[in-house]
Amino acid sequence: MRKLPATFAVLGLVVIALSISSCGGDASGKEGGTLTGSYASFPDYLDPGLSYSQEGWLAMYNTYLPLLTYKHADGAEGAEIVPALAESLPEISADKKTYTLTLRKGLKYSDGAPVEASDFAATVERLFEIESPGSPFYEGIVGAEEFAAGKANDIAGIETDDKTGKITIELTSPRGTFTNELAMLFVALLPPDTPARNLSTDPPPATGPYEIVESEPGRGWSYARNPQWAKSNGEAMPDLPDGHVDKIEISIVRNGATQVNEIERDKTDWMQTIVPADLFNKVKDKYEGAQFRVERPINLYFFWMNTQQPPFDDLKARQAVNYAIDSEALERIYAGSLSAAHQILPEGVPGHEAFDLYPHDMAKAKALFAEADPADRDITVWTNNESPSDDAGAYFNDVLGKLGFNAKLKTINADNYYTVIGNAETPDLDTGFTAWIPDYPNPNGFFQPLLSGESIAPIYNSNFAKMDDPKLNAKVAKLSEEQLGPEQEDEYRALDREYMEQAPWAPFGTNTLSTFVSSAIDLDEVIFNPTMGQDLTSFQLK
Amino acid sequence: MEGRSPWYLAYRRLRRNRVALAFGALFVAIVVFVLAAPLWADHVAHTGPNATHTTEKVEVDGEAREVVNLEGRPIEPLFFGAGGEFFLGADGRLGRDEMVRLMYGGRVSIFVGIVSTLIATLLATALGLLAGYYRGWADAAISRTLDVIWAFPVILLAIALGLSLAIGGLQVGPLSLSGSSIWVPILIIAFVYTPYMARPIRGAVLSLREREFVEAAVAQGAGPLRVMFGELLPNLLSTLIVFFTLGVANSMLLESTLSFLGVGVQAPNTSWGTMIGGGFELISTAPLLTVIPGTMILLTVLAINVLGDGLRDALDPKSKLRLEAHSGIAEPEGTAV
Repeated sequence: MRKLPATFAVLGLVVIALSISSCGGDASGKEGGTLTGSYASFPDYLDPGLSYSQEGWLAMYNTYLPLLTYKHADGAEGAEIVPALAESLPEISADKKTYTLTLRKGLKYSDGAPVEASDFAATVERLFEIESPGSPFYEGIVGAEEFAAGKANDIAGIETDDKTGKITIELTSPRGTFTNELAMLFVALLPPDTPARNLSTDPPPATGPYEIVESEPGRGWSYARNPQWAKSNGEAMPDLPDGHVDKIEISIVRNGATQVNEIERDKTDWMQTIVPADLFNKVKDKYEGAQFRVERPINLYFFWMNTQQPPFDDLKARQAVNYAIDSEALERIYAGSLSAAHQILPEGVPGHEAFDLYPHDMAKAKALFAEADPADRDITVWTNNESPSDDAGAYFNDVLGKLGFNAKLKTINADNYYTVIGNAETPDLDTGFTAWIPDYPNPNGFFQPLLSGESIAPIYNSNFAKMDDPKLNAKVAKLSEEQLGPEQEDEYRALDREYMEQAPWAPFGTNTLSTFVSSAIDLDEVIFNPTMGQDLTSFQLK
Repeated sequence: MEGRSPWYLAYRRLRRNRVALAFGALFVAIVVFVLAAPLWADHVAHTGPNATHTTEKVEVDGEAREVVNLEGRPIEPLFFGAGGEFFLGADGRLGRDEMVRLMYGGRVSIFVGIVSTLIATLLATALGLLAGYYRGWADAAISRTLDVIWAFPVILLAIALGLSLAIGGLQVGPLSLSGSSIWVPILIIAFVYTPYMARPIRGAVLSLREREFVEAAVAQGAGPLRVMFGELLPNLLSTLIVFFTLGVANSMLLESTLSFLGVGVQAPNTSWGTMIGGGFELISTAPLLTVIPGTMILLTVLAINVLGDGLRDALDPKSKLRLEAHSGIAEPEGTAV
């Protein structure tokens, strides 16, 4: 037998190695098995029509599919909207008020029932019947308000054809974010006979690769593969991932340190909650790269200032506060989990371009404060009692005191915080802390609810700064009707700077999250979608 | 032979109880320690209890050290390494001086404990006197109302009140308190502990009103008010002093519990309970932030309890009543205390 020359042998090995590596993570990982995970608390709801939390959306991202969804990808790529149950992205009429989509063929619910185009109408109607927190997103559909008021039997603006799968949605006025709203879990299709009540303990049939097979609020829930995915849905939606594991079991572990400990001992594979602040750096130092990763969701942390009453009706006073805030101090307060930002649009949102109009300069801050020389220096600083928001508020209170204000800190329960500061009747709403997580990765989700004059409301107000600049309002209103594209991104970029020149807020950063997995999980494969969080289809056992 | 007043006899008995005196001295020392807070803050630490030093550095043995490092970990106790600044280190990620906060926090804890117990004692005395002296419908109305409050577990009732008042404050007629007022936990604690004092006081009054000296006063034409405040109250005084002393310890513990849970003393005020709550988050990396205020609560409560026991033995050695604040049960008559 003739021996191969050494050169050929080496070449052969290289070819084999390359062919293995080209197969990606799938080749090295295992298909099947059970993924175990922990949440610190049960999500608000395990009903796609009701859940309005990142925890709930993560739990149902791969279970209940809307017509559109977010790409199963990390970072900015994960903000891209892709078709899910619909064949393609919607066709939008010239007047920007009519959206037309077509349902993919051959889709079935996990109980074997066919998915019909008319299920979309039934799903939207159910939102109004169960008074879903998501229903306001769909009030702009023609006839939705009449249906909600009980004056109509169906929503006139939704037309469906079960034979062709065609779905036509007519809006009362153009709405640039409606494509994002069609990708929200609120409108994930459910069978037409789904009861109009909270189904968290008895989850409805699924359309995604997994179905929820057991749910015990307060204790946990579990998933199994959707039998219809292999038979029909997976083939109909080839661009959506199948998932690697066969079962997923989630339990509620309220103590963050216990969650960390169980992962370190390989008792649990993943924790949804961020690693607790006091263990964050220890875990990061020990496991980063192999089992731990810092994630960047889309959010913004800022201090708002009431622009409609003294002392913050004076631009110089607001600019002084912006100069006085030291991001380095806040990064320490957030134990390294905060990434400094001094603008409206955080990283990851289309239109973001980093800039800083007010780099920390206490001398400049004091000079501006002296120029402003406010007559009313008694201010109340609002924050909530959730750590580290309480510390951030205490720091802000101290900074305002050093600047020359007579600042009084008011710390209230986190559960009621936004209700209290969003109520115009609440006295002394001068300035305070806010953490904003937008509903979707669209720049409009920051400007419209938080800074547009028309968003100022007597209750549930989210324009905490009470910013009402007619010129900027008009720009926001115009952009809110347009679909997001390169031109609109440029306009949002300019708007970001224009608002910061008015300094209604002192933005200080975006808070990061973490992915921490056991040694049994291939961290490189785990996807963190900036809107939905960790993608359960991406978890793979080694 | 010259007669001795009961107060003098009590003083002699207390003087012989060296353990009670030692713990009394400890309590006085703790009070002096917390009263010295402004002196320490101004002349040694050079900072206030709420001043943050997150990004500042402190010179220790010629080396500049960060008060809070980049990972948010506070500096450990320096004792006199920096001339007394950060004697017990920094309190957390805000970099406030732990020693200064411990002293100011102690003032709040002791103030809340004493004032809430004082209010509870005054209320309980008034209610106990009325119920015990008048009996009948007055007794029934007062006792049943107190029973309703008594029916709720102390801590749960206090948490429920604390949660609701911390958000909206308290508005009763002209009385208006914001949710962050120090008077909110004081009133909550006084409210929940009043029944536990009023019940045994009512029992004592029921017993005293049958005594000859009361009959004599009534025969001399004394009215209800004079009997209650001129005859009965002086005879209750020794019991009230004991109740008050032991009540302060219980009130301090309840304040700490409420503050730890975030429904007691509210920021920017601080107490030992809020310090434990704040330090608990960093217990794995900076355990002293929890241990130090916890130890102060332990020492103070222990000192007050031992002193209270000593006072009870000295003032009323034959007392048949005892406040059982936690169990809510007054010992049956005839039990030696």
